[in-house]
Amino acid sequence: MHLLIVSCTPRAKEKSNTDKILDELRKGYEYNGNTTETLYLYKRNEWESIREKFYENDNILFALPLYVECIPGIMAEFLETLKPKQNCNTKIGFLLQSGFAEASQLRCCESYLETLPSLLGCEYNGTLLKGNMFAVSFLGSKMGKQMVEPFYNMGKYYAQNNYFNKEVVNDFAKPEYFSKKEIFLSNVVSPLNKLFMKVFAKKLGCKGSLNDKPYQNYIKR
Amino acid sequence: MNLIISTLRKDDLYNKKIIENIQKNISNVEIIYTEDMNIKGCIGCNRCWLVTPGICTIKDDYEKLLIKFLQSKQVVFITDLKLGFVSYKLKNIFDRILPLLTMNLRFKNGQMRHYFRYKKHYKMGLIYKGNGNREFLEKWLERVMINLDGTSIGTYNIENEEEILNALINC
Repeated sequence: MHLLIVSCTPRAKEKSNTDKILDELRKGYEYNGNTTETLYLYKRNEWESIREKFYENDNILFALPLYVECIPGIMAEFLETLKPKQNCNTKIGFLLQSGFAEASQLRCCESYLETLPSLLGCEYNGTLLKGNMFAVSFLGSKMGKQMVEPFYNMGKYYAQNNYFNKEVVNDFAKPEYFSKKEIFLSNVVSPLNKLFMKVFAKKLGCKGSLNDKPYQNYIKR
Repeated sequence: MNLIISTLRKDDLYNKKIIENIQKNISNVEIIYTEDMNIKGCIGCNRCWLVTPGICTIKDDYEKLLIKFLQSKQVVFITDLKLGFVSYKLKNIFDRILPLLTMNLRFKNGQMRHYFRYKKHYKMGLIYKGNGNREFLEKWLERVMINLDGTSIGTYNIENEEEILNALINC
């Protein structure tokens, strides 16, 4: 089986969490001799050939980060240039990842993705979703790789079943919400997290405070 | 000030009609057409959180909108629907609100949220042209507004002028 993967993040491959996840998912998918090809929307000069590949292939995975509760603008822009397929047997699955940790944060976008394939004349093949992926690129290659390793098995799973079953995905993506105890603990370590972010930002060249209000003077309440 | 941001073309007949109507019935309205502006998409660089907090690294016309969001009492966007969702032109505008939030996280109403950079209650609404699932659009805008600690004024089909005017007058 051959899978066409379209990476729908605006970030270049080297800095993309979505693409680090895809590296693992792909390995799992190819485990049994399946093949994949990955194309990148951030390479805008390749959109014409990505469109052609979309029309030629009948097994497609769109991979995307959650941007403000739905698909990123760059993905919306690309999709708007597609013509719906006619009389085809194309199946579209999705990989959706976010910085927010709880699966519940991805449900609004998921409900949109469920409706999208039929608008393109295709069938829906399920959505693999997972939160808490913000640090994958920041943590460096070793720890980042550990975070994305579980996607290997999901790649294998998708190759075997050619569908992301909702129950399997829910189990993979949990927690749906954090428990009260977890929220309490997270609030306790919150000052540490803030300190870590401050140090990290300084390393990146940040000269001010992370809470700076550069446009404060414009506010009218 | 009430702000209308339209991503439709100025000469779009529906656009013309609803804007004329809003101007006639509501005072203190400012209209911005993004047709005249250069607004790029978010590139996910996180610099507005980590390197130049509160300031987007992309230098285009978006900064004008960001400032208007802070100045306006309410903001209503006018957009085409494409594939059941707002057009990419409007999604780009929403994707780039991140400078209004900070990097740091906390829990609010049981879910993780970013801290808000400014003390400001945003009110935003949506007028859409074309076919789509209103229930989904309502849900989407409500979730967006939770992220901003604001209120959704609702989503309205551009043809339902009465409903739009009532909503704008009453909020």
